[in-house]
Parts: sequence; structure tokens; C-alpha cells
Amino acid sequence: MRRHVKVVALALVLGLGAVACSDDDGGSTTDTQATEETTGDTAAPVQGGDIIIALGSEPTSLDPQLVDDGGERAINDNVYETLLVRNAEGELEPGLAAELPTQVDDTTWEIKLREGVKFHDGSDFNADAVVATVTRMVKLIADGKTDNDGFFKSFTGAEAVDATTVRITTADKDGVVPARLYWMKIIPAAAGESADLSESVVGTGPYKLASREKGVNVVLEANADYWGGAPNIDKVTYEFIDDSATRLAGLKSGKYQLITNLAPQDSGQAPKTATAQGQEHPVLILDADDGITADVNVRKALNLAIDKEAIAETLFGGFAVVDAGQLLSPSILGHNESLTAYPYDLEQAKTLLEEAGAAGKSIQLIGESGRWLKDKELLEAVAGYWKEAGLDVKLEILEFGAYLDVLFDRENRADAIYVSSSNDILDPDRQLSTYYQAGGIGSSNTDQALSDLITAGRAELDAEARDGIYQEAVKIAYDNAYFVWLVNNQDIYGTSENLVWTPRVDSKLLVKEMSLG
Amino acid sequence: MRRYLISRLLQGGLVVFGVTVVVFVATRMIGDPVNFILPLSASLEQRERLRADLGFDRPILVQFWDYITDVFTLDFGTSTKFTNEETIDVVFRFLPKTLQLVAAGMFVAFVVSLVLGMLSAVKPGKITDKLLVMLSLIGLSMPQFFLAQVLIVLFSVRFGWVQIGPGPWTHMILPAVALALPAIGRLAMTVRSAMIDELNSQYVKAAKAKGMRRKRIVAVHALRNASIPFVTLAGWEFIRALAGFTVVVEGVFGLNGMGSLAILAIRERDFFLIQTIVLVVAVMVVLINIVIDLVYKTVDPRVKLG
Repeated sequence: MRRHVKVVALALVLGLGAVACSDDDGGSTTDTQATEETTGDTAAPVQGGDIIIALGSEPTSLDPQLVDDGGERAINDNVYETLLVRNAEGELEPGLAAELPTQVDDTTWEIKLREGVKFHDGSDFNADAVVATVTRMVKLIADGKTDNDGFFKSFTGAEAVDATTVRITTADKDGVVPARLYWMKIIPAAAGESADLSESVVGTGPYKLASREKGVNVVLEANADYWGGAPNIDKVTYEFIDDSATRLAGLKSGKYQLITNLAPQDSGQAPKTATAQGQEHPVLILDADDGITADVNVRKALNLAIDKEAIAETLFGGFAVVDAGQLLSPSILGHNESLTAYPYDLEQAKTLLEEAGAAGKSIQLIGESGRWLKDKELLEAVAGYWKEAGLDVKLEILEFGAYLDVLFDRENRADAIYVSSSNDILDPDRQLSTYYQAGGIGSSNTDQALSDLITAGRAELDAEARDGIYQEAVKIAYDNAYFVWLVNNQDIYGTSENLVWTPRVDSKLLVKEMSLG
Repeated sequence: MRRYLISRLLQGGLVVFGVTVVVFVATRMIGDPVNFILPLSASLEQRERLRADLGFDRPILVQFWDYITDVFTLDFGTSTKFTNEETIDVVFRFLPKTLQLVAAGMFVAFVVSLVLGMLSAVKPGKITDKLLVMLSLIGLSMPQFFLAQVLIVLFSVRFGWVQIGPGPWTHMILPAVALALPAIGRLAMTVRSAMIDELNSQYVKAAKAKGMRRKRIVAVHALRNASIPFVTLAGWEFIRALAGFTVVVEGVFGLNGMGSLAILAIRERDFFLIQTIVLVVAVMVVLINIVIDLVYKTVDPRVKLG
């Protein structure tokens, strides 16, 4: 007996020793899989199959109208549908609508609806469903019950013209309506009065909810009657793993077919990576009115002093491109092709600073750590570049709450504040009115001409004219160097070898676009 | 005995109240929850309105009074992160995973450390003893997050024996081991030294002289006396694990337990959720302490309660 126990003890000790000696990534064996980008045209897709997707966070609700939550969207984007959708380039196209919306007058939009579409519960998709959706959202906003008022607060109501035609009204002229319709998930007419739809998930989408075990997983199964044809993947399970290293381990072990937010430094470890030019733009907001940054030449020097290429290549491991000085990704309306990033020119920066009498002066740089990808490292890099240009950089990396107090302080703007701007609905209005427009919650300039353009862009109903207005606006900000533009991050996904999928510019995880090769 | 229980429960009530006050004040100091609920681009008016809706614009004493009176009516507040859910429901949804983890981890730790501690005490200085000391050092000195990742890399990725994330019961094996190893390091050494002391004591010598079987001396007579320090430390390990030290293991293994929930609640400044988590944990700790006292009494009849 005693000998037996001894053997067990010995085995335990040896086992542990082996564990202690083996290194983290198991260096010796087959870790040399090359990273390759997915391209749409690989092997012919196989019909059927189940996949498991690991998300970073669990949805806090499955009601498509209550929360503004990445976990909720990742799942509900497959269950619910919107009147308009975006194509691979980010342009709007009809979804549940039969054609793009038309204007009846300045504040009324008319939308023709697709016919023959049914919700998962068998009820018809028609004008009543759209009216119920808009009416419920308007009420939720009025009651302060939703986090989505930023997207839909301009809506005042909707009415059915006939079974397949609906009119949506807005408070003011609102050129963002088409982009808003791309964001508004349509619920069944019967759900219009519900206070919380989290327990009753019924959409028109290619997948329907099969089960949800809170804290464990959510399972969707293919909707065989989907109007756009039954999707390839039969069943998709979502699991929620906060730690990106653990998501990666799950991918490598073969359990997961797709993981989100792969860390750049881990990309070589994934069986396959897939990337898309996302909407995330880390940027520094400069105080254009007071202090050292009130001088436009100083602001230009701050741009010139930073090697954006090096940041994209080393800090973000190549999974980023240099922001062409405008905060808007190429997939967004208002992106100005004619602008190019301020070059990296340390000498020029030094000269400008000296001419402005700013050399050796101190400059505040405020940021936070842990909220956005590589935020602390990015701030330290920026501080390093500015020091090299001859400034005394006061870098403050604050706890997120304290940081927000600085970002939202309308009285005293710090010299330079770091923020990472993202754009959910792929429309420039929100980004520009938040950070570019005088009085915006994160804005540090009082440029009236710029502000007027942004207001005009919002009220312009013609998409082409809007594009022109915003292009002009971003050019003004660029010429005045109101920001230090840095990079545009890519979304990085890890996938299994056999998953065939091209990530989207709008970051949506549409399972109907996936298949197993 | 009854008087003892009543007084301990009253003391426990005071502890829980004190903890509640501290947590209430602390949460109010970590920032404005409104800024965490709304997206960055939300307007100032939107923020003001939500602040008023949630009642965070009122004086802190008023907020505290409301909270305390609500708690007495078992209303623990609504979560801001988990839309439309009562915080107590959220906590009870996440609690089972942590309880499973702690139960499994501590079971492994207690059994393994008792067996190993006894084995090495029987022949101090011999090979089993040296191996045990080495094992304890490894368990003690390896950071848990590293240990957990090593276990994942070896047993999930390399060998593919157990899966990551939710799944059949086997998914709890690695987390339990990761939780148990450092505890084994501490506990086994305690058992060992207590056992060595007991085996050198007069009554053991007397028993030996009487010709009693060695196994019986070790496993019955000496073990019972040596288990008093073990119970103290084991209780501490248990409480420690429950009161938040599963955070790392839960995080690395992606288990949605109380540790993960606490991190989420703090990160999103979900004040009522933080308060409910701490309240529930405090109540558990108080109750477990009472249970440990009762176990003492059973192990060592000389202990007087009250």
C-alpha cells in the first residue's frame, strides 16, 4: 500500500517538474504554421457543419434595442435583420428593404419593403413590424431605458402607408437616416409593446436562437426558411472567454473555429488569421485654443515628430495602417482621398517648435491603460518621439474613470488627450460631432467654420453632397492639425484551418458568410 | 452552544454591515458609473439624464440610506451592466461555478496534502520527504496564472485531453488542479511538521512501546492531533479561495464564476452588483468561520466554544 502511494507521489512530482520545465508555447514542435490571410476564393465551401465561436464578452441582454453591447451584436446580427445592409466596401444596400429609402419631404423617409419575408415565429415581416420597431425605440429613448439613443434619437415615429411601404419621420433634417436604418434591427409587430425582449428572440435572420444558457453559451441554428436561402453552417455556438490567450489556446486545441480580438503578438500562433481594415483610430486631441498647442505650427510639429509607420509595424505588429490624417476609414462616407498622413520629419518638427518658441517647453499628454489595444505602449512611444523633438512631455496614464473626467472636462482642455475612436454605424457624423465639432464632448477646438460644416453635413439628405461636405470638414481639421492622427487598426481574428470567411469592414460576424472548407 | 451561535451570528452581522459600508464608500470613489454605461460619444445631457435616472446625483448619505433600507427588504438593486436583471439573480447565477471550483479544488488540496504530509512525516529526510518539500516549493512559488496557462498548453493544446471553456465535467479538472497546487504546497508542509511533532511525542512512544501497529498510530492517534493546525489552515485556504482568490483561475480558464463577475462589475462600475457580490461573499465567510469553529470542537474536545 505504502509503496503504491509513493509511486503516485513520485509521478505527481515528476509530472510537475515536466510542467515547470516546458515553456509557454511549447517551442519545439509544430509551431511554424505560416500566417496567411483568408481570401474569399479558397476551396469550394462544404455544405453544413457546426462551428463554435469564442467571443470576449457575454451579451448582457439579447434585446436588440436595449443595449449597446458587442456580445449582443455578434449574436443578434445573425438573428435579426435591418432594412439596409452594407456590402464588402461598406456601401449601403437594401436588406429587408426592397430598395434604398427615398425622401418624401425634409423629415420624412419612405421605404419599400421586401415581400414574402417571415419572422422565426411564422409572423409576417411587413410595415407593421417596422412601425412597431421604430415606435418601441422612440418610447425606450423617451423613457431613458436604452443605451441606443445616440443612434436613434432623431426618429420621431413611423407609419404604414400600405402593407409593404412605411414612412419614418425625424425631428430635423437628418442625413444619417440611411446609416441609422442599417443599425436598426427589426422586431416582430407583436413585440412592439414588450419591455424586454431578452427572453423572446425572434428575428427574420438566417439563424434562429436554439438555446441560451447564461454564463455558458448561446446556440443558434440555421433558419431553413430564410428568404435569402438557407445558410451553409448548420449550427453555431458562442462561448465567452475574457482572456485572449485562453481564446487562442481554445483555437489551437481545435475547439473553436473562430476567435475575436486576437492579440497582434499572438497572430503567428493561430492556425490562420483573418484581418479587415476596421474602424478603430487611436488619436490625440490637441487643445487648439490654449497653452502650448494653441499654435498651429506646434500642432503640426507634434504630428511630424511621430513615426506612424514604425508604430504600425512594431507596436501593432503590422496589423495597422497609418491614419491618413482624418479619423475616417476609407470605407466611410467623407473619407478624403487627397489627404496623406503628416510625414515623419524630426528635423522639420524641431525647427517648427523652435520657431514657435516651444522648444523645451512642457506639454501634457493624458491617457489611460487597458481599455484599448496597446494604449499604454502607444502613449509611451508618443511621449518618446515628442521628447526627441525637444519637448518636456508630462505623460499621465490615468485610471479610466479619472481619464474620462479629463476627456469630458469642457472647462480646461488638456494639451493632448489620447482616445481611440471607433465607428459602429460607419457614418462620419458621430465621430466628427464628438471629436471635431466645437462643443462636442471630446473636442478641443472652437473652429466655427468646421462646426458649421459638420452641422450642414448632418442636415444634408443627399449622400453625395454629404460626402463633399465631410471631405471639406476633415480637410480643415487636417490643415489646422487639430489632432495628431496615428494609425487605423485592423480587426484581427484567429480561425481554424478549415473556416472559409472574409472579415467585414463593419466588423460584423455574419455566420451566413462562413463555411467549412 | 446556542448562546455561542447567537453571539457569533450577531458579530457576523456587524462584520457584514461594516463591509457593506466600506464597499459602498469605496465604489463611490472609483468613478462615475454613467461614463461606463454610455458610449464615449454620448452627449453631456444624455449623461446627466442617466445619472438622475439611476439616482447617482443624490447626496451620498441619501443613497446609502436607501441602499440599506432596500437590503433589509431583500432588494439588492438592479444591475446596470446586465440590463433589467436584479443583482442578486446575477450573483446566484455566477456563484455555482465558483462553488464547484472551490469544492473541487479544495477537495483535491485537502486529500493530497494530508496523504503527502503523512507520508513524508513517517520518514523525515528520506526521498519521499525531499520530493514533498520540492513539490511544495514548486506549488508555492509558481504564480497561479502561469501555472494555469502551463496546464492549458500541456493538457488542452498539446495532448488535447480536456477542453477549454464550458463543456462536460472534465473541464473543471484543470482549474481545480491549478487552484489546488499552491494550497497543497502550504497544507502539506503544515501536516508534515505537525505530524513529525506528534510522532516524537510521549504518547506515541508509549503506543509504540505497547506494540501498537504503526499504521494505526499514524493514521488514528497522531493524525487526530496533527489535524488541528491543518483545520486552521484548511479553513483559511477555503475562505481565501471563496473570497476572491479564484479570480486568476477563473480568468485564465474562462470560467464565468464570482471572480470573473467581480472583475466585470468593477471594470464596468456596476455599483449595485459590486455591493451584492461583496455582501454575499461576506455572509459566506462569516458562516464558514462558524462552521470551522464547530469542526474544531469535533476534532479537539478540549476546545470550548463561547
